[in-house]
Amino acid sequence: MTEEIEQVAQRYARFTALGAAVIAAVWHVGYDLTVTVTGWSSFRWPWLSVAAWLVYSAVFAVAVRSLLRDSRGPARIVEPALVTLALDIVVIAALHPGQLVGISDWAWGSVGWIGVMLVWGRPRWKAELVAFLAANAGIMAAAMALTGTVDRVSISKYLVVISGGVTMQLGYTWGCHMLRARAEDAVVLARRLAADDALRESAQRIHADRLRRYAAIRDVAEDLLQRLADGADPGDPRVRADCTAGALRLRRLITEREDVPDRLVSTLRERIEAAERRKVMVTAPPFGHYLPGLPDGVREDLLRAPVRALDGARSRARVTVSAMSTMVSVAVVADNDDLPISATPVREPSGVVVTYQRQGGEVWVNSIWQGP
Amino acid sequence: MGQQHLARPVTVALVEDHQVVVDGVRSWFGPPPSPVELAAQGPTIESVLGVEADVLLLDLNLNGTMVIDRVAELCQGGQRVIVFSEHEEPETVRAVLDAGASAFIGKGRATRESCVETILEVAADRPSVTPPMAQAIATDEGPHRPQLSDKERAALLFWFQSMSKASVAARMGIKERTVRQYIDRARVKYAAAGRPAPTKEKLLICAIQDGLIQPDEVTVYTSLAAQSPPDRG
Repeated sequence: MTEEIEQVAQRYARFTALGAAVIAAVWHVGYDLTVTVTGWSSFRWPWLSVAAWLVYSAVFAVAVRSLLRDSRGPARIVEPALVTLALDIVVIAALHPGQLVGISDWAWGSVGWIGVMLVWGRPRWKAELVAFLAANAGIMAAAMALTGTVDRVSISKYLVVISGGVTMQLGYTWGCHMLRARAEDAVVLARRLAADDALRESAQRIHADRLRRYAAIRDVAEDLLQRLADGADPGDPRVRADCTAGALRLRRLITEREDVPDRLVSTLRERIEAAERRKVMVTAPPFGHYLPGLPDGVREDLLRAPVRALDGARSRARVTVSAMSTMVSVAVVADNDDLPISATPVREPSGVVVTYQRQGGEVWVNSIWQGP
Repeated sequence: MGQQHLARPVTVALVEDHQVVVDGVRSWFGPPPSPVELAAQGPTIESVLGVEADVLLLDLNLNGTMVIDRVAELCQGGQRVIVFSEHEEPETVRAVLDAGASAFIGKGRATRESCVETILEVAADRPSVTPPMAQAIATDEGPHRPQLSDKERAALLFWFQSMSKASVAARMGIKERTVRQYIDRARVKYAAAGRPAPTKEKLLICAIQDGLIQPDEVTVYTSLAAQSPPDRG
């Protein structure tokens, strides 16, 4: 769902950008080229106008390439913008005097579309486009003033072309920007909804898991209470051990706080449960709620030896995890008589170091990873 | 100061809302004569306020409410507080130690011997480090954490994760007495690095008297000492 919405938003960005290019291309071929060819005699130097048309086309190609690549204008726009604005002057110079703002004076009505393409998708597009269009209008106003083209007809033409061009170019850019912004809002919203769904699903899974474990402990507790009601001796060491084991499991459930347990913690919990089903009394202080990200293979190497010690525990085990931002240490102390141990630290290829120690009928297995 | 307490039983006020735990603690202390005596007990902090006791043993979760934010207020009066809770996660332990608690006993692993030993050490203002405290101090990465040496940090972590201080000594290739020294020094440094509280001051003074740490190693202590004359001018 989120992917589909993201694709729609990307298409909006891409095709509105290409839309600007299509308008500029149609205008440049349909109008600029046509008036250059059909108005050949109105130019003093028609080849200069053709050259201007080709330069416009080159800048257009640069802008289109950038829009096709990432739906944004080029990284550097000052140089192409200045070249484009210079075309205003070149075309005026190519015309016979008296043709200013005439039908063959094509550049000043067209360059605005290049401006639109250059600023497309840039953070300061609004200010940059306004500056570009203002410069274009300013160049034409200055040319009219310098050549004395200030009759009512010329001023009217100027105002119509400038206001029409600016309205279309700014309007298209602003409209497309709004469209893209709404599409991006939809993506953000979709992502948030997807994250909420994931969190809800995870919370439901954890809740269901806890209910399952509560149910398992309740069965054990019921059985224990029944035995006591039937006359079991509370002083009997076995009854007391069962009571202690039940209390430890309950306490662990109460103090669990992780919303989404790390895989290392989940694996340890599974093995602790398995040990408890074998009547091993396991103490495990809360694992805390911070574990750093671990490189590939580290988690497995951290768990392997301690889990083996826990799996082979005869009657009791203690499981601990200590963590800092660049260190994780997993340890098991258990009455495991069969675990083969190494007298010297074992260094795994992942960087995990495992140490073993036997003392007073217990084995202490400790695996430590220290990050860079 | 600490030795005075050894002549008579250390008195304890217990704040605990579960009668079964109260009964358990009472049985741990045993009938008189015993080194530790339960002077008062109640299900709320208010129920034991005003009771003269060397140590206040405090359950953190009272009737479903965590009372971590009351620890500082209790310690400010100079009362020695030992937190007795199943909420052994490092963040909680650090919060209560920072608030001035003298020690933290985890309900999950506490035994009669360890509990009584901790109470006696705290009553004598000696550094006491239980396994949950060792873990919390060793893994503290907060901005005001003390500068622990590698050996002090390793001793704390191994003490939390191993079976005994003897096994820590074997692992580190040092004497058990040295292990205790590393752990105690870490505790003292931790007390010095945290916010000042009268209970921490007592611990620091005793640590300096015992030669566990030099006065110039404890910036908080020296600054407090510097403030003690009425006219600092």
